[in-house]
Amino acid sequence: MGELKLMKGNEALAEAAIRAGADAYFGYPITPQSEVIEYLMSEKPEERTGMVVLQAESEVASINMLYGAGGTGKKVMTSSSSPGISLMQEGLSYIAGAEIPCVVANVVRGGPGLGDIQPAQSDYFQAVKGGGHGDYRLIVLAPSSVQEMSDFVPLSFDLAFKYRTPVMIISDGLIGQMMEKVELFDQMDRLTDEEVIEKYPWATNGKPVGKERRILTSLDLDPHKLEKHNHHLQAKYREIEEKEVLSETLHCDDAEYIMVAYGSSARIAQKTIQLAREEGIKVGLIRPITLWPYPKKEIEKYVQKGIKGFLSVEMSMGQMVEDIRLVVEGRTKVEHFGRVGGVIHSPEEVLEALKQKLIGG
Amino acid sequence: MENIIETPKLALTKKDFESDRMVKWCPGCGDHAILKAVENVFPELGIPKENFVVVSGIGCSSRFPYYMNTYGVHGIHGRAAALATGVKLANPELSVWMITGDGDSMAIGGNHFIHVVRRNPDINILLFNNKIYGLTKGQFSPTSPEGSKTKTSPQGTYEAPFNPGELVIGAHGKFFARVVDTNIKMMSQVFTEAAKHKGTSVVEILENCVIFNNQIHALITSRDTKDENQLFLEAGEPMIFGKERDKGIVLRGTNLEVVKIGENGITEKDILVHDPHTEDSGIHVMLASMMPPEFPAALGVIRSVKSHTFEELVWNSVEHEKKTSKLKNVDDLLHTGNTWVKQ
Ligand SMILES: Cc1ncc(C[n+]2csc(CCOP(=O)(O)OP(=O)(O)O)c2C)c(N)n1
Ligand code: SF4
Ligand SMILES: [Mg+2]
Repeated sequence: MGELKLMKGNEALAEAAIRAGADAYFGYPITPQSEVIEYLMSEKPEERTGMVVLQAESEVASINMLYGAGGTGKKVMTSSSSPGISLMQEGLSYIAGAEIPCVVANVVRGGPGLGDIQPAQSDYFQAVKGGGHGDYRLIVLAPSSVQEMSDFVPLSFDLAFKYRTPVMIISDGLIGQMMEKVELFDQMDRLTDEEVIEKYPWATNGKPVGKERRILTSLDLDPHKLEKHNHHLQAKYREIEEKEVLSETLHCDDAEYIMVAYGSSARIAQKTIQLAREEGIKVGLIRPITLWPYPKKEIEKYVQKGIKGFLSVEMSMGQMVEDIRLVVEGRTKVEHFGRVGGVIHSPEEVLEALKQKLIGG
Repeated sequence: MENIIETPKLALTKKDFESDRMVKWCPGCGDHAILKAVENVFPELGIPKENFVVVSGIGCSSRFPYYMNTYGVHGIHGRAAALATGVKLANPELSVWMITGDGDSMAIGGNHFIHVVRRNPDINILLFNNKIYGLTKGQFSPTSPEGSKTKTSPQGTYEAPFNPGELVIGAHGKFFARVVDTNIKMMSQVFTEAAKHKGTSVVEILENCVIFNNQIHALITSRDTKDENQLFLEAGEPMIFGKERDKGIVLRGTNLEVVKIGENGITEKDILVHDPHTEDSGIHVMLASMMPPEFPAALGVIRSVKSHTFEELVWNSVEHEKKTSKLKNVDDLLHTGNTWVKQ
């Protein structure tokens, strides 16, 4: 068993970055995730593993530092909260185009605009539908516990390097700030420069004799070549959709109704299941763990089984519900319930919505 | 530009500018005194109340617009300079005040900041320099001295800090002043001069964040050390300071130097006389750079040079085009260039 610790979600994410053998972290303070860089700085990672941690002058700087450092084949990461993640969208588009692996964590807060510093899930569209310009995708992982804030960091790095693509960990102010018990995984080694050169021939990691010069770019002025590059990216995305979907189901076997919820909302929905079943209402939960690629097959399975309706429970005005509807295509009811602006729904409210929108209606 | 609202004779007082919003700064924060000074200055400027706009970015300091009973825009972190430029160009009649912090203007907004200074629209920038990120609870900023121990630099920073005055003058700034948050009279006097200056005026306020960077300006502001560490500059006056007013600044070779009057044959005549209006920015930069313990900090108006404002140039060119263009209306425009008549 790994080392057990009581930690904030943000701290677990930071500790996991060190343990996963990350080479560099760049970030700019913003509530509710400043603990990530503060924890990293206090842990002296340069002594623990040789990891570099730098406070950038803005999120635009952070994401471009990531582009550069990631381009050398190193494991690199940044984190921020909603307004800062908006500033990174241009960079993410370029990084996806240039196929640089990196990890970006978003501890979402209420919006739009400056909004507030309370938890929200209203950056779903931005994370899974692009956010920046052009045809690209991010792999998006949604932890729903402090444990997963830790576990998803090495997983994200693995996916980022496997597919040479940016990966986003999307949590919220609740998971970032709350403290829970975490079982930490053992320290992994950072790769040596020689190993990086050996493993990542695409990287700008020096030019050993006999190898070609490399330029990392997302530019191609020849439309046919750029189209080809886009097809290459899409083929990669299809492979990810085929192989990397993650989700969890709870009490779905005998369920007549299913809630779909991720992150904090999924934690609340678990309590709703208990309340509902005490009243004899058979409800289950599908928890998407990857928001992109979306667990379409899991949802389809329950449509086929004749489920009476889905309720998308999210701290937004209704974003993920669109992805459920894309799968269901009108074959059964799909409704949305959400509180926004940093308000967190109660399990009782969710149950009430379930009754009114699905069972009664 | 025509002024749409007929304004009655102005008889404004401090009360007119006090907002009923609860002020949410920490007790003892330097921002409270700055607010008082601004409330003193606004009614005295002869500007109709409705023509004031207070624009800000994000930070403790940037909460300012809520606390002034004027129009306000709470903008984006770092972007207030661009936002203020937009306000001023769209309506040059307005008196535009931009409130910003050292993080807001020197870190994330560094780019916009140097460009607003370079363009020189007539806006007044109050830069609250507490040398820390206050709102996000105590991380180092681009003005934190090297070696600062903060939440994100527990071992001390190893970055060379910006001096806002050097940056302003380096970006062709026409007005730069510095004040301390412990002296409301000094702030009121300098803010008034900033308001009267036509063009971008930047006032750096050495502000104390009691919670996350307490006493950062103590050498300059505390009772026992301030006399030896403050040099209040006035146009045409020799640069004399010290409790006994026996110290002064001279130019030796290409460097400034502190001398004692009466020692080594130095008399008052040898002391540099302040000229904020000279185009040459050489001495101004040197003055802005002076810091204790080697030097006193220069306070007051360090540089104030006349120049065209950006909006004058823009609107003049618009007027010029209106007068000289052959196109007098949309019809004229539609019939220029590649047009043809259908037979
Ligand atoms: C895009 C973006 N990034 C980060 C933040 C978080 N943030 C708000 S204010 C601030 C710095 C404040 O420091 P300063 O400008 O010195 O103002 P002070 O609070 O010290 O007055 C930061 C990092 C934000 N609001 N938006
Ligand atoms: S944190 Fe510092 S700057 Fe912000 S209100 Fe409190 S004392 Fe003032
Ligand atoms: Mg500050």
